[in-house]
Amino acid sequence: MQLLKISISGVRGIVGQTITPELVLNFASAFGTWLGEGPVLIGRDTRPSGPMLHQACLSALLSTGCDVIDLGICPTPILQFTVSHHKARGGISISAGHNGKDWNALTFINSDGTYLNSFQGEEVLDLYHLEKFNSVSVEKLGKTGHIADYLKEYFDTLCSFVDVNSIRKAGLLIVVDCCNGAGAEIIEEFGKCLGCQVIAINNEQNGYFPHDPEPCVRNGQQVSSVMEVLKADAGFLTNSDVSRISLIASKDQAMSEEFTFPLITQAYLERKKGPVVTNVMTSSMVDEVARKMNCPLFRTRVGQSHVIETMLLEDAVIAGEGSGGVAIPEFQPAFDGFLSMAIVLEAMALGASLGELAESLPLRHLVKEQVGCSLPRIYSLVNEIKKLYPGEWHETSDGIRLETGTGWIHLRASATEPLVRVYVEDASRETARERAEQIIRYFPYW
Amino acid sequence: MRTSLKIGISGVRGIVGESLTPKLCTSLAQAFGTYLGGGLVVVGRDSRTSGEMVKGAVLAGLLSVGCRPLDIGISPTPTVMIYAREARACGAVTITASHNPSEWNGLKFINSEGLFLNSAQVQEFLDIYHQGEFSLVGVDACKPVINDDKPSLPHFRKLFSYLDVAAIRKRRFKVVVDCCNGAGAIMSARFLETLGCQAVPINNIPDGAFAHPPEPLPENITELCRCVVSEKADVGFVQDADADRLAVVNEHGEPLGEDMTLIIAVQHILARRPGTVVTNLSASRAIDDVARQYNVPVVRTRTGEINVVERMCALGGQVALGGEGNGGVIIPAIHPCRDSFTAMGVILETMASREMGISRIASMAPGYCLVKRKIPGSREQASRLVRLLKKNYEGKASLNSEDGLKMEYPDHWIHIRSSNTEPVIRVLVEAGTKEEAESALEAFLSEIEELKSWK
Repeated sequence: MQLLKISISGVRGIVGQTITPELVLNFASAFGTWLGEGPVLIGRDTRPSGPMLHQACLSALLSTGCDVIDLGICPTPILQFTVSHHKARGGISISAGHNGKDWNALTFINSDGTYLNSFQGEEVLDLYHLEKFNSVSVEKLGKTGHIADYLKEYFDTLCSFVDVNSIRKAGLLIVVDCCNGAGAEIIEEFGKCLGCQVIAINNEQNGYFPHDPEPCVRNGQQVSSVMEVLKADAGFLTNSDVSRISLIASKDQAMSEEFTFPLITQAYLERKKGPVVTNVMTSSMVDEVARKMNCPLFRTRVGQSHVIETMLLEDAVIAGEGSGGVAIPEFQPAFDGFLSMAIVLEAMALGASLGELAESLPLRHLVKEQVGCSLPRIYSLVNEIKKLYPGEWHETSDGIRLETGTGWIHLRASATEPLVRVYVEDASRETARERAEQIIRYFPYW
Repeated sequence: MRTSLKIGISGVRGIVGESLTPKLCTSLAQAFGTYLGGGLVVVGRDSRTSGEMVKGAVLAGLLSVGCRPLDIGISPTPTVMIYAREARACGAVTITASHNPSEWNGLKFINSEGLFLNSAQVQEFLDIYHQGEFSLVGVDACKPVINDDKPSLPHFRKLFSYLDVAAIRKRRFKVVVDCCNGAGAIMSARFLETLGCQAVPINNIPDGAFAHPPEPLPENITELCRCVVSEKADVGFVQDADADRLAVVNEHGEPLGEDMTLIIAVQHILARRPGTVVTNLSASRAIDDVARQYNVPVVRTRTGEINVVERMCALGGQVALGGEGNGGVIIPAIHPCRDSFTAMGVILETMASREMGISRIASMAPGYCLVKRKIPGSREQASRLVRLLKKNYEGKASLNSEDGLKMEYPDHWIHIRSSNTEPVIRVLVEAGTKEEAESALEAFLSEIEELKSWK
């Protein structure tokens, strides 16, 4: 099966199969042609395939006449910040986020430092499909450049956004697992700036992933063991480009990645009230948090670009997804794992432990399942389930949904992998699990 | 049809933005990496402004088929070749369009011995390119790019162990070197200073902003000629953009002509150690005259560095040196490739050992004058013209059609051939004096102008 996912914000696939240098050249040329001029910032996570994509992007952008500033290995949120901070025309992030090591992806960033919105993305895709790229003559070729202090600029800005004095005073000890991704090594800089002691594990930018770079409970065992020994105050898992995080309070308190967004939202709405945006498949915990604070909540299609687009449109104060990505537009309109950690630390510095912060959330159990499915069948399959499983299904902007009274069931074809995602939420974990298993049984091949 | 893309025995050349696109470079690099079967591949480039763009595409292509690229940055072509062999690489790519103007760039492919692919190897490699089936690797075989910012070391080691450094150092020559802001700029001054020379480098920033067209022709090096006089230098040197060719200016600021570089080298090297000389059909008869003095054979090949080098390698230890009339000197004991550093070293060595000025050395060489002209014309037009001429000259001159057509007379010769690198037809005439050569050239050019039917 050829795994290639083209979306408005970029392209994602398996290296050596669908991610070839030719494909990367074509996409980067389309993006460079769309921008018309540079500078364009490029950065990558630590995946072993990164240098290949990186060189192809560099070459293609230069050939379309865009100057290129190469940030090397760089977390996506820091790349996004630097694009807008230095008033660059755009950026390309080379990272497949939470996907396994075989994958890689290009994500296109506009001059605001956000993922391309749907209109922009469609224009780039049109150019890609037309294969009509700027091919400039030698005197108009782009040039390469560097920015020396971008990490310091980012962390200084981050420190001035949160209550860094309180955090420093609290003297917190945290354990962070960057999965040898783009956050590795840089995380120590983060700790220094915020004045907390960071114990970093899997802390080499070598691209060897000791586990899937997905921030979730099953990948948190290393962190929680270290936390127990060191009696650490909090643990964090990041994905390979530090756009998403999950939280760990202690070994005995398993906290899914679904806690990240409501927990940060609850903390941040205390500081600034306003609309909240999330996707259709995120846990209802955040609805409760928003309701408690009297803030409206908007739901969008799944994916950072959709969530951010709506966030900007609705003038929301915070946006995020159940997978652990949170954006606060007052800081920057991008999912940002460093900012997320900083807000959590700030909330802890004001006196509550991470466990207490988690317990103050209205608990919901969200069971997330996925069923592999060949791409051509994926959409018809979702519709068949709708007929088989009794109830009042309704179409949402992204997939189908059934309200069950005590919770909901949501089915959706993944945008990044050949999967149907089956999410079931309920006040009771048992009920949620039962329903999920029931649904999966309806899938014809399994 | 005239095109701006040349894929042939000398590698690939094209015009950036027209024919030399990132996609072409990536595909070629993938084909080359597939041909090599992975492994360490050295990548160097000359100083052209399009170098970074082309290099990115080449690195991406090599990485995608599992090669481990070793990026040595801006480096002269001979430096890349020597580096490849010394690093025991599987192959190398050098990104250069040699003496072509700045809008051109290209790729040259080098094997594990540090030699350009020969015609059979080029055929195999291009076969893979045209089939378009490259052995793409998955993530487990992905390699990183390695960098080396001191690429000149292996080359320097070879040069200094061959040259009589002590003899040259003693003389404290003052040398003006014009690097044309090409790849030579990274190491030419250092090379001369190590030889005890007072180096006056001009156009010495490797940024690809060519101060003059990068072909070392007399009309392109007036700045160097002036500078040699004003600096009261012993000699002036000019390199092309990738520093494989060298032309010489004497102490009076007069260009000696590109072909003189090889003639002086032949005189010196044969005096040092007699042996076979290998050169192409277009090189001067002076080489035959010098070889006759030492009673050694001259072997002539088709034009193109690889043709000369292949014959040199086939003849093995009996070869003293090889080269081309365009200022390319090849000394196999250093490395079987054209090398402007070798040429500079040999010329300084002959100045030191004969204790003569360069103008005197040049004046003592057998007296011939070579004139060259380029006329626009594709390969097809060239071959039509050659067929016509062959008929016309049958019986009137001694003909050699190994490479275009060479017409030899007792007192002069005319060679006409299609360029390997540009869409032009080259005409070369050599005679005893400049006047004779010019008049023979003009007569020949008006003759082919009248032929018309080849156009």
